[in-house]
Amino acid sequence: MWWVIMAGIEGNLAALERVLRDVYKQKLPVEEIYILGDVIGIGGDNEGVVERICNPPATELIPHVCRGWWEEQVLTVHGLYGSVAPIELIEQFGPQASRQLGEGVSEKLVWWIQSLHFGFLEFDCLLVHGSSVSVSECLSPETSPWVILDRFQRVGARYLFSARSHSLFHCIIEEGMVESQVETVEGRRINQVKQAETKHLIGVGRVNGKDGSSYVLYNPYTGEIRLRRMD
Amino acid sequence: MKIAVLSCIHANLPALEAVLRDIEKNHCDAIYSLGDLVGYGPHPNEVVNKIRELQIPSTQGCWDEDIVEGLNACECSYPSLLAEKRGRMAHEWTNQQITPENREFLAKLPLMLHLDNLCFTHGSPHSNHEYILPEMDAFCALERVLAASADVLFCGHTHIPYVRTLNPGQLSVKLKKGNGVTERQFSSSVKRIINVGSVGEPRHGRPNATYVIYDQDTERVWIREVEYDYEKTCRDIIERGLPSIFAWRLSRGLEFAEKAPDASHVCQR
Repeated sequence: MWWVIMAGIEGNLAALERVLRDVYKQKLPVEEIYILGDVIGIGGDNEGVVERICNPPATELIPHVCRGWWEEQVLTVHGLYGSVAPIELIEQFGPQASRQLGEGVSEKLVWWIQSLHFGFLEFDCLLVHGSSVSVSECLSPETSPWVILDRFQRVGARYLFSARSHSLFHCIIEEGMVESQVETVEGRRINQVKQAETKHLIGVGRVNGKDGSSYVLYNPYTGEIRLRRMD
Repeated sequence: MKIAVLSCIHANLPALEAVLRDIEKNHCDAIYSLGDLVGYGPHPNEVVNKIRELQIPSTQGCWDEDIVEGLNACECSYPSLLAEKRGRMAHEWTNQQITPENREFLAKLPLMLHLDNLCFTHGSPHSNHEYILPEMDAFCALERVLAASADVLFCGHTHIPYVRTLNPGQLSVKLKKGNGVTERQFSSSVKRIINVGSVGEPRHGRPNATYVIYDQDTERVWIREVEYDYEKTCRDIIERGLPSIFAWRLSRGLEFAEKAPDASHVCQR
């Protein structure tokens, strides 16, 4: 049984349809579909994409969706999350993006976004848009492995599927060790040797990619991971 | 250079004065404070005035932040409804007592201070509400020091002092991207976490104030424990109308409240 894990549709209904066709034509036994956020974007057919996700044909699975960066921006713009102003959005896309998300997203869509979870912890897998710390945090192959390992340790997961980097990759922390000593006020010394178990960080790519779509197939029963790129 | 680092004075002037005398006796060249100047104790303005007068560089603690921004921590701060009620009472009392000038001073305190390869912060580099406990997963502890861009991270917040040395660590990483597979080895240098305890609300089982002296040249650390007239503070707690349990626990160096059951939880409010 396989999980299909994707993200970054950003309102691109045609790209989503193409990915779903690719998924189903492989004739793999698909158990679950996870969409790790950024279902909506700026200027795309957000309502159409959400309708397609929530009401698929009877032969298809209803995907599990968690909150992405764009969804968090919508909630911030509408005063339903975080700081007063959508600082990240304005810094990256300018003040007009804030206006577009404020006026161009229907109330019904806002409520749907608000119902989304931060992420999913299933089996030994964490499936999130960013990291165990925040939706905005980008974990990529360039991220310090010490930081990556910390994000695993916080939730006790062995597989972490993340979308924020938009990249398709599989990074394996194979082994590691840190030895430490604690000295207390009473002068006691406590030694600790911590071994890192193997951890898998998987960048799930992006449906609305510049050079085509990408997504991931994962078999939670065998641990097999397939990075799927469609040009 | 010998540096004295203190934290969590918690509006306890007799404790602060005793610690300052001990610092003088030990010929320290500089003093750093890690915040929580106020809260729980009966002398919030006296303590802030003293820090200002001596121009002691200080980071902002979670209580200092709450006095400035309003109490908005989630239930993570309190293990019981009773503890939450007392915490709120102490917050309200301090909020009424603090002068506008001292509130302004607390508002401007930074979350982190750096000196060479040393970093000073109240809780952790990620949040002044996070507890870096001595038993924290070593990889997570190492990440906190790296996040501070330092070799030595001074913190407080738990009110129990300790010194943790993280020896050089290793990680092996394999990356599969496109058609390529690359392998890399990473290592970290020796890092230290020094929790300086609490001047005014110790929780190590004795009523004495605790703080730390660090010698930058030899990298030696001394956890200092200083006796002071804690009964005076206890009397003031009761006379000024703060919950009497604050006096009870101060006289024993014990704490049952405001200890997060999940140390890794960081309040997002």
